[in-house]
Amino acid sequence: MSLTKDSGNSEITRRQLLGRMGSGLLVLTVSTPWGELTPAEARAKAASFKNLTAAEGAALEALGDVLLPGAREAGIAHYVDDQLSRADSLLFLKYMEYPTSQLEFYRQGLASLDRLCQARHASPFANALEEQKTAIVREISQKNPEGWNGPPAALFYFVVRNDAVDVYYGSEEGFRRLQVPYQLHLPPPAKWNCR
Amino acid sequence: MSTGKVDAAIVGSGASGSLLAAKLAQTGKKVLVLEAGPERTASDLYSSQLWARRLKWSGPRVESVGKHPINVVFGHGWGTGGSALHHYACWFRLHPEDFEMRSRFGAGLDWPISYDALGPFYDRIQTEVGVSGDREQEVWRPPGAPYPMPPLKIFAQGRVIARGFQKLGLRTAPLPLAINSVEYHGRPPCAYEGWCDAGCPLLALANPLAVYLSQARAAGAEIAHHAYVTRVLTNEKGDRATGVEFFDARGERRVEEARLVILASSALQNPRILLNSATSRHSSGLANASGLVGKFMMTHIAGNAFGLFKERTENYLGVTGGQLVSQENYAKDPRKGYLGSSQWLIANALKPNDLLGIANARPDLFGDALHKFLATASQHLATMTFVGENLPRRENQLTLSREKDRFGFPLAHITHEFSSDDLKCFEAGMRQGKAIMKAAGAYEAWSSGPVSMHALGGTIMGKDAASSVVNSYGQTHEVSNLFVAGPGIFPTSGAVNPTFTIHAAALRAADYVVARWSSLT
Repeated sequence: MSLTKDSGNSEITRRQLLGRMGSGLLVLTVSTPWGELTPAEARAKAASFKNLTAAEGAALEALGDVLLPGAREAGIAHYVDDQLSRADSLLFLKYMEYPTSQLEFYRQGLASLDRLCQARHASPFANALEEQKTAIVREISQKNPEGWNGPPAALFYFVVRNDAVDVYYGSEEGFRRLQVPYQLHLPPPAKWNCR
Repeated sequence: MSTGKVDAAIVGSGASGSLLAAKLAQTGKKVLVLEAGPERTASDLYSSQLWARRLKWSGPRVESVGKHPINVVFGHGWGTGGSALHHYACWFRLHPEDFEMRSRFGAGLDWPISYDALGPFYDRIQTEVGVSGDREQEVWRPPGAPYPMPPLKIFAQGRVIARGFQKLGLRTAPLPLAINSVEYHGRPPCAYEGWCDAGCPLLALANPLAVYLSQARAAGAEIAHHAYVTRVLTNEKGDRATGVEFFDARGERRVEEARLVILASSALQNPRILLNSATSRHSSGLANASGLVGKFMMTHIAGNAFGLFKERTENYLGVTGGQLVSQENYAKDPRKGYLGSSQWLIANALKPNDLLGIANARPDLFGDALHKFLATASQHLATMTFVGENLPRRENQLTLSREKDRFGFPLAHITHEFSSDDLKCFEAGMRQGKAIMKAAGAYEAWSSGPVSMHALGGTIMGKDAASSVVNSYGQTHEVSNLFVAGPGIFPTSGAVNPTFTIHAAALRAADYVVARWSSLT
């Protein structure tokens, strides 16, 4: 079978589409000094954050790992941080139509999370005990805790939860974890090229 | 890009803009389509729910507020093909009663035309584009020609949910889809792999790249990308459109002169452009003597019913829009306790992540419970989407914000709230949805809250200038060579996905323009 692209002068066949499959291509990549790496690889190499501070990155990893265990190692903080550099980022937050910049959303949300944890447990969120972190996440999933001063707590929970799902399950590897076929039509490029 | 005056400047390359561009170019008109976003080709449509987000609205922020804000980003497009590039191709006809709400039920609005006026255009469109379905099983379908292709395949998820409908005495039918079930007009059949939201690079799904933009280009129409239209320009007297003002990729102001201007951007941007086009002759905005530009903004009230089953549902197979439809509750019968129609889109193909992904079927779960749910649900979840009517209300409106875009033009500010009828319709639907899942054998059934799906209204059609912005062809009452196309001209929402009607109305407008070209221009 063949089909005509919109311009009428170039054809893509399904066979060609499938021929472009490559297990190394269908990953989420992060720009690092070592080149394009998966978020997990970027984390393993301790790549510096470009937008988040180290403390913010640690808080985001901790939150991500409570929301979906494994998100830390999957590189949630490096994924979010890298996307925050993109002119048209692909973060889930895009759908939420939040009025501030994406960086401010995360920055204010993480700061609120840390303030809440300090007030409750005299500890930044990243260093809190697992049961303390879980209780806080349960609380922010439902309402703004007293003194919460960032984006709506439930929205912040929802967005970071989706980031965790994206980075852990949103790739071919993630589908494999669920034992569902990826059913690839056309692989994304190895490098983010958003427009 | 065009140099010199064009015959028609069309703002937006989505469903209506691409069709009108094709039809006008095919009659020898010099057509320029101005698309605010970047160029997209079939080879850009990557199989990834993350990359799919590129296709969603990335233009100037729309301030969407109110008790039930209209969805902006997820439901709108950015780039070639507009929203239709990532639409799910659920192609339904509106029902005759949708055109006569005020006359029949004393609420809402009437269209200036009946179903019979649009019926032949639905027939022509489905032949030109290709629609798969089964007219006989779709017992609720208004009159018209049978579909040119047989229905798409039904998989386990569809069969499982259909069992619930059947047990409750409710009928289902194959979902009518503008997706090929067999090769049609040189385009291949569907591969049933559920990437519709990311755009279909196979072009089995009839997005603008697959059909009308391709035809428009072949007939000589040009498409300018990164051409962000800010105003329609008029003559000194204010009774003729002379062209459009836009800003190009470098941010430079440009003017494209045109004999005819068609606003075929979204229902959120067309009224904004008209309001921003105010002059001394049109102090409250172009085509707005009635004060109705931006009024009667609508959406659909939508939600999902879910069920977990012991058997495998193969929910990764099929198309995003669904496999089956039921319109058993479409009839607007006030005895139901509310006025409004609804339908079920049954057995949507699912991916683990993204807004409509499996993970968000239970947004309350996190931690190990979320992993466990995903592992189970990716094999055993079934879902169906409720689409309910949103009654037209004047107070649901788009106005200009005090905030401005980077070129100094006010942003769109939309206030929206569902009516009590809309909410009652939704609640009844969700109760029914859970009952259907349980009847189908679900060991656990639940439903979501209401969300907004699609944007309609804001430049409604009507019989006269006092009660509407445009006539039934989308021609503005005040400026005869200025047209509006798309769902913004619908006076009622019905409870069906709008894209088939967008095409039918645009084809009717194209015929009208072509037949009256000399007098219009």
